[in-house]
Amino acid sequence: MHKLYVHPLPVRIWHWINALGFIALILSGVQIRYSDILAVLPFGLAVQLHNAIGFALIGNYFIWLLFYLFTDKIKVYHPDLNPARYYRDSLRQAAFYGYGIFKGRPNPHHVSVYRKFNALQSITYQIIMILLVPLQFYTGLLLWDVNGFAGSIELFGGVRMVSTVHVLLFIFFSAFIFIHPYLASLGHTPTAHFKAMITGYEEVEEEPVKDVAR
Amino acid sequence: MKFTHQLLLAAAAVAALSAVPAAAALSEDDKGCLACHSQEGLKKNLGKGETLSLHVAGEEFAKSVHGELGCIGCHADVDSKKHPGSGRKIASAREYAVAKVEACSQCHEDKAKLFQGSVHATTLRTGNLWAPVCTDCHGSHAVRAKAAPEPMNGISCRKCHDEIFDAYAGSMHGLARGKAGPVKAPICVDCHRAHDVSPASTGTRLRDACLGCHAGALAAHEKWLPNTKTHLEVVACPACHAPASQKRVDLRLYDPATKQRMSDESGRSLDAKALWDLLRGVNREGAPARATLIGRLEVRTGAESHLLSAKSKAIKDCVTCHKQGADAFQNVTISIIGPDGRPVRYEAQKDVLNNPASVESVSDFYVIGGTRIKLLDALLALALAAGVLVPIGHLLLRKLLRRKPTERPQGGNPTR
Repeated sequence: MHKLYVHPLPVRIWHWINALGFIALILSGVQIRYSDILAVLPFGLAVQLHNAIGFALIGNYFIWLLFYLFTDKIKVYHPDLNPARYYRDSLRQAAFYGYGIFKGRPNPHHVSVYRKFNALQSITYQIIMILLVPLQFYTGLLLWDVNGFAGSIELFGGVRMVSTVHVLLFIFFSAFIFIHPYLASLGHTPTAHFKAMITGYEEVEEEPVKDVAR
Repeated sequence: MKFTHQLLLAAAAVAALSAVPAAAALSEDDKGCLACHSQEGLKKNLGKGETLSLHVAGEEFAKSVHGELGCIGCHADVDSKKHPGSGRKIASAREYAVAKVEACSQCHEDKAKLFQGSVHATTLRTGNLWAPVCTDCHGSHAVRAKAAPEPMNGISCRKCHDEIFDAYAGSMHGLARGKAGPVKAPICVDCHRAHDVSPASTGTRLRDACLGCHAGALAAHEKWLPNTKTHLEVVACPACHAPASQKRVDLRLYDPATKQRMSDESGRSLDAKALWDLLRGVNREGAPARATLIGRLEVRTGAESHLLSAKSKAIKDCVTCHKQGADAFQNVTISIIGPDGRPVRYEAQKDVLNNPASVESVSDFYVIGGTRIKLLDALLALALAAGVLVPIGHLLLRKLLRRKPTERPQGGNPTR
């Protein structure tokens, strides 16, 4: 076993604050949206908590953004510019999760410092971090002050459109919050990836390969 | 003959002096008029069984703010040489009262202008002669000074709006007004204004009237109410401050280009078919709406909106509205301004507020939790089920199909 430092400290700080924050946002969001079914927190308090955590996570997002913008680690998000290789890798990865893993076959992706994501993770996290998370923050911000952001809301298609997009993303993240830890448990041991996101070091079985910037 | 006439006038003057002892401020001419018109029961037969009272309480007129103007101030059209007996035709007592607005407007031009823009004047123009005119509120001869406090039982508005007035009388404003001492609580004209009375559910005048007295209301709401300004715009004050009232959502048709409420007067109004098309578009997925619907939570009836209670009894529990099936969303109307300036309302199904089509058709009205789209609830249930069941299913398959270590091919990579 070799250890690779794949999760730098700022990324780990961002990740765990974001994880706890998203869980809190989902729970307070459920309380706000379903106050006729659920009465754990008073509506007003749930709204205040939701708003405060939302702003905290918007700030936290910038830890992630600035770290990747100003370090070469941004390469982990670089898309594979060779489409044929990208699709081949994606299909292999999908085949592994949908079939190979049941047969005990090895994970086709080999982790390295600049390629910590497999082909499927790479595209998924790009969409999530560059599109979906900012969109969720933006729609949340508009709903926080409907009067103040009236112009932006009108451009977006009305308050109901803003809310519907916010809720659709909430639904997506609600499913994600279950799927993500399960996928994280598919390392060489069930807790390997969790430990790595705490220590920063991922254990790999092969000799680390030299990264090639793509 | 001339002598006889002078004798008659002299006799009338003597009679007038004895009939109106307090009317000392009146001119000799006025006393001459009152010689006849102070007689109780004096009336003109208009035909068809209708009469016009010609009686004037001289003492009250003399004490009124118009006393110094004298009779001729308003009745300049009376030719003293031919009066009485000019044979002037008057169709009805009401038409006479309505026509007399002209006399008032000669001096009170500013008030007349305001009145002409009121819902009362519009109602009059549309042919309803019973809409109030100057004399209905101010009286015809015993005209009081505008600053004189109006006793509760003398409010002229209650002649037509008695149900609303009774509700007001029982409200915290009405009860405070009824108490002895300096009068501070508002009465009809303080909120609705005296002359340029507009339909209650149009514009922002009533909200402005509330905030005009309750200047600290915005700051007080901001302490606990998120999106305060939006709430104050979208929710009518009585919706919370008349807690016993029934609510409704009124979806108001706005012209997106002018940002004005659409009206039947503008020439760009929706005809019956267009409205039907619109309603179809709102109720079901179909024709795109040509107008914006801006929703507002308000009280269903004018009377109920006057049942204002003490601040401590106002609705403060957010979940009153922010829950599915809340009473507030059981009644939905779509309104357009009618020819008389009053809203014309069309009933709509309550489903218009939580149908997926509402994202487009009712794009500017959304109450978190209260008007949520049911399809999204189903999607959330599906996503949660997938989020839980997919990992469980995958895990079970891994356990069931896992190869035993002894079956691994020689030299193969370990499972990850």
